[in-house]
Amino acid sequence: MSALLDKKEGAEHLLMGNEAIARGALEAGVKVAAGYPGTPSSEIIESLAGVAKDANIYVEWSVNEKLAMEVAAAASFAELRSLCVMKQNGVNVASDFLLHLAGSGTRGGMVLVPCDDPGALSSINEGESRFFARTVEIPLLEPGDFQEAKDMTKWAFELSEELKQLIMLRSVTRLSHASGNVRFGTLPTGEAKARFRCDGFILDPDEGIVISAPVDYKHGQQHEKLKRAKEIFEDSPFNTYEGPEKPELLIITSSACTLYSREAISILGLKERVGLLKLGTTWPLPPKLLTRYLSLAEKILIVEEVLPFLEENVKVIAAETASEIGIKKFYGKNDGTIPMVGELNPDYVINAITKILEIEYLPRPEEYAAKTQGLAFFGAPQRELIFCPGCPHRASFWSIHNALELDGRKGFVCGDIGCYTMALLPTGFTTLKTVHAMGSGSGLASGFGKLGQFGLDQPVLAVCGDSTFFHTAIPALINARHHKSDFTLVVLDNSGTAMTGFQPHPGLEVNAMGDNVPDLDIAEICRSMGARVEIRDPFELEETRATLNNLMEDNEGLKVLILRQICGLSPEKKAGKKYEMAINEEICLGENCGCNRVCTRIFRCPGLVWDKEKQVTRLDEVICTGCGVCADICPAGAITRKEAV
Amino acid sequence: MKIFGPNELLEAVINKNLCIGCGACIHLCPYFRSYKGKTAMLFPCTLEEGRCFAYCPKIEVDLDELSQQYFGRSYEGGPLGNYLSIHTAQAGPKVKKASFQAGGTVSALMSFALAKGYIDAAVLTDKEGILPVPRVITDADEVLTCSSSKYSASPTLSALNQAMTDEYTKIGVVATPCQVLSVAQMRMNPLEKEDFVDSVALVVGLFCTWAIDFRTFAPFISERVDITTITKVDIPPPPSEIMEVYMGEEKIEIPLNEIRELVPETCSYCIDMTSEFSDISVGVLEGRPDMNTLIIRTDRGQKIVNEAVQEGYLVIEDIPEENLEHLMWAAGNKKKRAFAKAKEEGMINAEEDKKSYLRLQPKTVKEITG
Ligand SMILES: Cc1cc2nc3c(=O)[nH]c(=O)nc-3n(C[C@H](O)[C@H](O)[C@H](O)COP(=O)(O)OP(=O)(O)OC[C@H]3O[C@@H](n4cnc5c(N)ncnc54)[C@H](O)[C@@H]3O)c2cc1C
Ligand code: SF4
Ligand code: SF4
Ligand code: SF4
Ligand code: SF4
Repeated sequence: MSALLDKKEGAEHLLMGNEAIARGALEAGVKVAAGYPGTPSSEIIESLAGVAKDANIYVEWSVNEKLAMEVAAAASFAELRSLCVMKQNGVNVASDFLLHLAGSGTRGGMVLVPCDDPGALSSINEGESRFFARTVEIPLLEPGDFQEAKDMTKWAFELSEELKQLIMLRSVTRLSHASGNVRFGTLPTGEAKARFRCDGFILDPDEGIVISAPVDYKHGQQHEKLKRAKEIFEDSPFNTYEGPEKPELLIITSSACTLYSREAISILGLKERVGLLKLGTTWPLPPKLLTRYLSLAEKILIVEEVLPFLEENVKVIAAETASEIGIKKFYGKNDGTIPMVGELNPDYVINAITKILEIEYLPRPEEYAAKTQGLAFFGAPQRELIFCPGCPHRASFWSIHNALELDGRKGFVCGDIGCYTMALLPTGFTTLKTVHAMGSGSGLASGFGKLGQFGLDQPVLAVCGDSTFFHTAIPALINARHHKSDFTLVVLDNSGTAMTGFQPHPGLEVNAMGDNVPDLDIAEICRSMGARVEIRDPFELEETRATLNNLMEDNEGLKVLILRQICGLSPEKKAGKKYEMAINEEICLGENCGCNRVCTRIFRCPGLVWDKEKQVTRLDEVICTGCGVCADICPAGAITRKEAV
Repeated sequence: MKIFGPNELLEAVINKNLCIGCGACIHLCPYFRSYKGKTAMLFPCTLEEGRCFAYCPKIEVDLDELSQQYFGRSYEGGPLGNYLSIHTAQAGPKVKKASFQAGGTVSALMSFALAKGYIDAAVLTDKEGILPVPRVITDADEVLTCSSSKYSASPTLSALNQAMTDEYTKIGVVATPCQVLSVAQMRMNPLEKEDFVDSVALVVGLFCTWAIDFRTFAPFISERVDITTITKVDIPPPPSEIMEVYMGEEKIEIPLNEIRELVPETCSYCIDMTSEFSDISVGVLEGRPDMNTLIIRTDRGQKIVNEAVQEGYLVIEDIPEENLEHLMWAAGNKKKRAFAKAKEEGMINAEEDKKSYLRLQPKTVKEITG
């Protein structure tokens, strides 16, 4: 049985931050958990799905984040504890429902966990979820370590029930994906019964109807809840101070930045001069607590990632209490002491502290620093983002690129979110020309496809993955079809949410918990809209290319090409190679006119390696997945494939 | 011959709309492809010298070098180029009837050459709808499936490159003058490859004053008829001045001056009407829709014509004086106009470091342009 269900109170386990959050939810007796996959959040739902049967809970990968929140909210309305999980920008997708949910309030404890990605390590944005807490006026918690990740999650459910309000618990990549020891509490035993009471007095929060109106009344209630949250936060054990009684500098921080700040103070040996106020309850800030600590020092440094959220909120309190605490000198993002973009690390905090306290500090001996810099510049290999060996996307974009070049009317492709977003880069032949939110490729194409009236004569294409198709591409297609927009959507169907780790989606016969469920056929959905639909195997390059050219020339509305081929890394694929590949070095043309190594210069599957010395291409048999595609791009017939036995 | 690489080809020919889509740069490598009459470069190639550039008839064509190679003398600029004799011609009784463009001379010659083993593959131009489609034909009877002219420029030489890759060693090709110029350059092994063999055994050149750009022709025709129902397109010999489009029994006529609007700019730089670097050239014969004009230029061309006549594949006669005069006049006119235009735009004998369309003795340029 999974460690997550260890019943022994006080047991210690090494857990990933995301697993700690999952355990916290289990300790709170969560019954329903829903999310949409997105790094760095996915392991929370995955962990819960893994124990769903044993823990008797319901877990789903919803079609999108708004649905995840709705599914979780229904459970809360039925007096169950529920969790919903998403990455930072997922909150944008869910935000309309979020606003109304914050207005209506909740019943069973409900916690929203967004995992932000400062530095955009696995995103194309540095979105902030914390502002949503302030915008829709719900309490916000930010764990600072792994133990807190578990403990605060559990507490968040209790808080939610006390306030009858949704609680946001925000994690970040470095917390979600790193691991640390977590001491377990108890798992609840009792069963919960779902019931939705909705025929009491309409304004009754437990028995009335669930709605954010009448707005002035409900909005007023919401503010009462926030006021109550402030009071509770004043005494929260998750807000801690470490340092001298009269620090020269007070650092105020939260989340993963607590670790960076603590390390910086320790490296600089400034424990006697710098105080650290670590906040776990970051919205609404408890004013008395803040006033108390702000009084301690003249200089205040606020350390946080992405937007100056904490900084602004602290400054409001400082302004309101200025007569009491005196005039402070603030350092943070607004004055440039802490960078406005990217992930932080202890070095940034060290720099900030040494600048403020005018301390001489060299992190490394100068000579060493110069040397490493030189090495980094000359020696380190340029790591480039590239599709995996045998990736169907490489083949798909090869054909899309070629079809566009042959067509010659300067057609373009609106991209979407998935592994295939990398087709912005040379690995996908720089095919994508726009990338925004989930489903926006099809939405933009729907718009471009109406510009013929104003002389746009370039063919319009969009791509989306199978998961993205269900997430938000469908409304865009309906829009396009209804408004007779003229474009071609290529669905890159690799049978799973590959980028985030093969989570199931409605196109598959299995759900998050491993149950058999009805699968929805993308082709049938598109056909039912009246789109012209073709299905091809992207490994059949010529056929795919020809089909695309044909679709692009058909300027009668919405066309859909489904390119079906499972991901090279999928468990099924890894099991065996379809082809044994071989390269005949004797006939390889290499850099000569006639090839100029199209395989290793342009196609660039990592399974093919250019041997500079021998001036031929070699096969890396260990990496090669045996997809067979390169045999079709070699002009000399030097690459051959043989059905593997 | 000055040789550069694909980037220069892109810059000096394709991006300047000088490409006629002859197909000489297609199927040499993975980079150049033709689609519906248009030549595209799929991916960048970094080579500084390439066959694509060397073969292209629209850039760095050294007329003196070619003329020396094939006729043993410098390019003299006569209206019809070098030739041994000129005749009228027509398919002989040994050739089955087919929908020939004119006398069926071309089909007759190719059938004969295949049947007798003078060639082991014929590079011809078939059609799908109104799109010309290059083919490699190896059966003498099948030659007839490609008879009749397709008026859009065709990437026919891509099939020649394909036939070479497929290791045919005696290839016959039917080509327009621009394509014949490419073939002449190909046969000179411009990249000086050690393992090079000239596998072109017969070049039958067509006469040509212009071809149409398929990409403009297709929508033009679609506006008038349903493209999928077209069975034949014909331009009867002068003085008719019309294009006939057949849909089975039905027919529409389009005035030629409307069609000329669809001719790509590059044809106006074309200096050759009669495929001067072929073995045999064939065109229509004014006033006789069932016959051809035939120019024999080389010994091997002569040999094949003689034998084809002997074996009943071809019937030839002397050409009437007035037809010959008119031919000279038309070909001379095309040459003069194209030379004048190219010269005015600095495309002839450009400075050493610039790319030039044509290179030849300056005095010849003067003689032609007057
Ligand atoms: C674009 C074009 C323009 C022409 N302009 C003139 C002209 O101005 N004056 C003149 O006298 N003659 C011209 N001709 C030649 C003429 O139309 C006949 O092709 C020629 O007289 C031979 O007739 P035939 O009966 O022997 O041909 P057929 O026996 O019917 O055989 C025709 C041959 O032409 C080839 N062919 C067809 N279309 C093309 C193409 N687009 N590109 C390359 N090869 C092709 C086929 O492979 C076939 O073998 C032109 C031909 C073309 C294709
Ligand atoms: S594509 Fe073929 S010929 Fe070209 S380098 Fe690769 S293996 Fe060699
Ligand atoms: S140089 Fe050779 S390989 Fe490169 S594009 Fe030209 S023909 Fe192809
Ligand atoms: S060789 Fe022919 S097809 Fe290629 S660029 Fe030149 S004219 Fe165009
Ligand atoms: S006019 Fe010249 S360039 Fe144009 S198709 Fe005819 S031979 Fe080629």
